[in-house]
Amino acid sequence: MTPYEILLPGITILPMIGVVVLLIWQKATKKQAASIAIISESFALIIPIVLLATLRREGSILFSMPWIPNMQISFSLELSWLSLIFLLTEVLVTLAALIYSLGEETGEKFSNYYYALLLLFSLGMSGTTLADDVFLFYIFWELMLLASVLLILVWGHGEIRFRVSLKYFIITHFGSLLVLACLITLYVNFGTASLTALIAQASTLPLNMQIFLTLFFMIGFCVKMAIFPLHIWLPDAHTVAPMPVTIILAAAMLSMGTFGILRFPFAMFPIENLQVFAIWMMIAGLVSEIYGALMALAERDIKRIIAYSSVSQMGYILFGLGTLTLRGMEGAIMHVVYHAIVKALLFMVVGIIISVTHERDIENIGGLGSKYPVLVTCAAIGVLGISGMPPLGIFNSEWMIFAGGFDSGISVVLTVMTLIGSLLTVVYALRFFGGIFFGKQKPESLAKQAPRSLVYPTLAVTIFLIFEGLIPGPLLDWAMRGLGIIFGSLQ
Amino acid sequence: MSGSYAIVIPISILVGGAFLLYLISRLLHLSNRVMSILTVSILLGTLIPLISFYQQIPDLIKDSSVLFGDPGPGGIIYKHSAVGIFILIIGSFIAILISLYSGEYLSRDSRYLVYYPLVLLTLAGLMGMFISNNLFNLFLLTELTTITASALVAFRFHQVIAIKAGFKYLIMSSLGTMTMLLGIYFVYRSTGDMHLDHVLASADNLTLIGAACFLLGFSLKAGVVPLHTWVPDVYGHAPSAVSGLLAGVLSKSMLFIMPVICLRLGMTRVELGVYLMIFACLNMLVGSIRMLKQNLLRRLLSFSAISQTGYLMFGLGIGFYYELDHAYSAGLFLFLVIAVMKCLAFLSAGIYQFYSGTQDIDKLIGIGKQMPRNAFCFSISLAGLAGIPLLAGFTGKWLIFSAALTAGDLFALICLIVFMASTLISLGSYLPTLVKQYQTPVKPITFIDGEAHPRPISLWMFLPVAVLTILVVIIGVYPAPWINVVDYVMRWMSI
Repeated sequence: MTPYEILLPGITILPMIGVVVLLIWQKATKKQAASIAIISESFALIIPIVLLATLRREGSILFSMPWIPNMQISFSLELSWLSLIFLLTEVLVTLAALIYSLGEETGEKFSNYYYALLLLFSLGMSGTTLADDVFLFYIFWELMLLASVLLILVWGHGEIRFRVSLKYFIITHFGSLLVLACLITLYVNFGTASLTALIAQASTLPLNMQIFLTLFFMIGFCVKMAIFPLHIWLPDAHTVAPMPVTIILAAAMLSMGTFGILRFPFAMFPIENLQVFAIWMMIAGLVSEIYGALMALAERDIKRIIAYSSVSQMGYILFGLGTLTLRGMEGAIMHVVYHAIVKALLFMVVGIIISVTHERDIENIGGLGSKYPVLVTCAAIGVLGISGMPPLGIFNSEWMIFAGGFDSGISVVLTVMTLIGSLLTVVYALRFFGGIFFGKQKPESLAKQAPRSLVYPTLAVTIFLIFEGLIPGPLLDWAMRGLGIIFGSLQ
Repeated sequence: MSGSYAIVIPISILVGGAFLLYLISRLLHLSNRVMSILTVSILLGTLIPLISFYQQIPDLIKDSSVLFGDPGPGGIIYKHSAVGIFILIIGSFIAILISLYSGEYLSRDSRYLVYYPLVLLTLAGLMGMFISNNLFNLFLLTELTTITASALVAFRFHQVIAIKAGFKYLIMSSLGTMTMLLGIYFVYRSTGDMHLDHVLASADNLTLIGAACFLLGFSLKAGVVPLHTWVPDVYGHAPSAVSGLLAGVLSKSMLFIMPVICLRLGMTRVELGVYLMIFACLNMLVGSIRMLKQNLLRRLLSFSAISQTGYLMFGLGIGFYYELDHAYSAGLFLFLVIAVMKCLAFLSAGIYQFYSGTQDIDKLIGIGKQMPRNAFCFSISLAGLAGIPLLAGFTGKWLIFSAALTAGDLFALICLIVFMASTLISLGSYLPTLVKQYQTPVKPITFIDGEAHPRPISLWMFLPVAVLTILVVIIGVYPAPWINVVDYVMRWMSI
């Protein structure tokens, strides 16, 4: 075992140590707890970057340790290009949310548990991207759900949080159960839980079995992606959750569904066998895109507007995946990353607006533009970003998704409809921006300054967004390598 | 009388211990706690030979001369069974924890003198049922468990509801044993013998009727839908410790005796498998759906026990129908985890009731803030029952899933869908119950004696709960050794 392989479990173990420290340190103030969380989470960022050179050399890094030998289950982690993209996105979002949380009022009570759960939430997602064992995958997959449910349950807004978290848990757990059934089918059929081994063998399954498994995987992961009509948990959960949790939910957790689709059905079964799903995925993507955008247009609560925008954006991603072309999938992966950044930014902006106005109804807010120049800049860039304005990132990914749609030759009509549907994004984004920043100043009394502790992380994310959009090269390269597993080696 | 006396050592310790304990306690006016300690030591004394049996399972099962009694036509005969040893070790362990728990739990009752001997006798009856190889003897021992258990259920006889529950249990269980007696009649009429090993050779239609009677009788005692009506009343109103023993071990172990008898009386494995799987679906659905609208804590747990009986039957059913060994061992594993989790749930629910005087969930809202340690244990038990990963229940769920998917047949898949639906529906009642512990109470909880704060939880009650909580976590995080145990028992199972 090389030193690099030993380093790999550090991505999960070091944050876990942070969790243990936080659980023990009952008297930690919010600042102390947050700094422990940030330090231990940053290991999850540093280690993959350290491993980058090795990854370039070897293609993937595998760590494996026996766990339940009599069930052929092991503690195996694998870092590949595909997982790297999702891992880094998720860790960066978490770090941004952790820093943002310092300026926020949630988590003053039981700070140590709050940050421990945030760490566990992120740990669940890192584990999901890394797990190379179906049992382990499911455990991380559920950990992510459990931690987020607890966060909403304890620190959410209002008494409604009990009902919301229950709904969120049950609906998402339904998706998880479908995924679990598929995982166990694979495990039982091949007598191994190792994902690498399963991916190598899965194409030998009978065709109808492949179709069924893909269907169940698809439904299961689409629940996590909040694709219409499986999205019903999302608006409430996003609205009720405290802002840092919302940021992680929207920007990072939703993308885990995409990862699941790429990692399981797409990587396992030959792409030709999945052609039956192509048109349905594209339709579902289109419907989700338009429905999400319309709902965002109809909502008055600013947090819900951005929450529904997630449903819409996930529609693009599913559409991209559904094209089953290299370009479409590459676009989908890039969209995941760009969407994460933009969504984090928009929610941060919403958080600041709520904190200065103490209002959430867009009708009661207005004319903030002249008052907070930095905020308005960030918001403008975020809004332009989500509408797909070049050179900001989403333009690149949408371009590729639409190109994939035309490439696939399945239905030009659908692609054109998606393209036109994207106009709706501009409409709700501009309504959001205009409603808040233009017009008469509402409410009358406003905080003098936007809290600095919230503005700085927002500014940092804004700069990162511009930077990412201008230099898409590395991401494109990684996505290309990541898709090698589906389309054969492309390098 | 011939053969190895070792086989009856555990049961003799229990029966002898029970009578001796009662005698000594009457003579010396022992206190409740001393009785509890004495019971624990008697049970430990039973556990030692059981564990040595466990280690010698291959020798004991292979060597058919290791039996005790008269192998003639009407003779009583005892024979080792691997599953029996496994279940009884779990049963004795749970009984030890329950006796410790009762050291405080019964501190407000005056009739503790009969309680502990009854616990011992119940366990002795169960033990006898597993080793008995003679139908009539089996009937007697079943009656012993029934009567002692119903006395335990009605232990607090000054409460009308307890009497009602005890009476219901007595009537329903006696109905079960009567059906068994009827079965014995058919078997004896056809074969002129009651020795199980002899009966199989001359199985015919009459013995099949006998098998059906036994199937019915054991189903009733296991709480199989639609014969489950006694379950909620009994588990809901018996003393918590007794509910833990009944729901965790006693009624579920009937599902492991049932196949032994029915298969020897000429029933085929497929028939048994079909029966188990169909009724498993009913149990899973009825249990989880009825659970949704319960407002009494232990009644809710009773309905969840019904759905867990279903899970267990599902595992065993697949094992028989498709001849899948690992489905059967999944059933055994499930028995272990359900015993631990169910007992934990009942015991910690009992702690709530003991200190607050109520088991009404709406009156217990917010109790988690007042009794954080117990709330934690109770939450672990509920999360475990709900099948949250890294707790014992999840591994059981995984095993059942993999058993059903290995079978891969439409029938198994339909049952699997029911199973999935049931786990999902039951979340709808586990989670609110779990959450309500931490909600802000509408009006302050009054604890026993009208105090605003609970007294600190007695160590007598908390220790067993803590042990079980740790077990739920350990089995969940590192199930390998437990699966080894189950596989070992499975290999020497003699049906």
